[in-house]
Amino acid sequence: MKMDLPDNMQMPAASPEIFQQLGTLTRQLHDTLNMLGVLPGLKHTVDDLPDARSRLTYIATKTADAAEKVLNLVDKAKADQEHIASETRKLAKLIVADPVKAVASGAVMNFVQDVETTTHRVDGHLTDIMMAQDFHDLTGQVVAKVVKLANDLESQLVKLLVQAAPLEQAQKVEAALTAHGHGHGTPTVDGVILEGPVVDAEGRSDVVSNQGEVDDLLASLGF
Amino acid sequence: MSNPVDMKFLIVDDFSTMRRIVRGLLKEIGYINAEEAEDGAVALNMLKNGKFDFVVSDINMPNMNGFDLLKAIKADDALKHLPVLMVTAEARKEDIVLAAQTGAAGYIVKPFTKATLEEKVQKIMQKLAATA
Repeated sequence: MKMDLPDNMQMPAASPEIFQQLGTLTRQLHDTLNMLGVLPGLKHTVDDLPDARSRLTYIATKTADAAEKVLNLVDKAKADQEHIASETRKLAKLIVADPVKAVASGAVMNFVQDVETTTHRVDGHLTDIMMAQDFHDLTGQVVAKVVKLANDLESQLVKLLVQAAPLEQAQKVEAALTAHGHGHGTPTVDGVILEGPVVDAEGRSDVVSNQGEVDDLLASLGF
Repeated sequence: MSNPVDMKFLIVDDFSTMRRIVRGLLKEIGYINAEEAEDGAVALNMLKNGKFDFVVSDINMPNMNGFDLLKAIKADDALKHLPVLMVTAEARKEDIVLAAQTGAAGYIVKPFTKATLEEKVQKIMQKLAATA
């Protein structure tokens, strides 16, 4: 979109010399950052930002799924609970009216079987609610990765700031960074960084996407 | 082999939520005797100082990860008989193969179901019974 300017404020035509000077300055800045060792690290960190977005989306999806799953299961458990309460009230009325008939008609035994079936179902709902909490572990690992990325980005930017700041200020910043203990390690196996949950398995052939694939892989290797 | 019901499990995971989930599921399956450790280093110490029959371990943990714990268990004459079931979010094929080659008795990828845990535990129990 072209910007509208008042008639008395026409954009001056940039001379080739200005472009050349800008180009030279940009090149100098690029070379200086490279020389200071800031640019490669900063570039690497910035390259990771799209991955951070995927991870945050994964967290949002996982937590939303877990919340919905738990609420649905609670609805089911409450319905089963209400069913038991309702059947109990009905049976109580039958027993008060005619205890012998309540037993002889099978109402008591039917109730007992109904309670057993329903409580078994409620127990299943409670187990599923417990399992739904696994999002804490999975998202926690992903959050740790995003926090590490934020720390890396901060470190790179602070490093840039330190290089550009007066000596006295730079020493203060470095002392503060040391006190805050920057530079936590990442879990590795034989030097390879552990990946944690796969936030997007699409198009990847190096990961499994379900337990069936784990079993198939191990079986193919004779385990 | 101990009576399965009396078998003592060690659940190793840095997330307390997951430890509780695994413990709860084991209880539902019938194994009520379990203790917990928050990383491999704590787990190894507990294994060396206590009697356990089965280890369920995560991989991605601080201090000592699950692979290093598995290696340490398999390198220790007093512990190497212990079955170690890996329960982890690490889904790379190379990790799964490495776990199997290092001596893991089973590998479950998170998120998992009660049925999967039960199947793997029972399968390992059957192997233990067959070799006892």
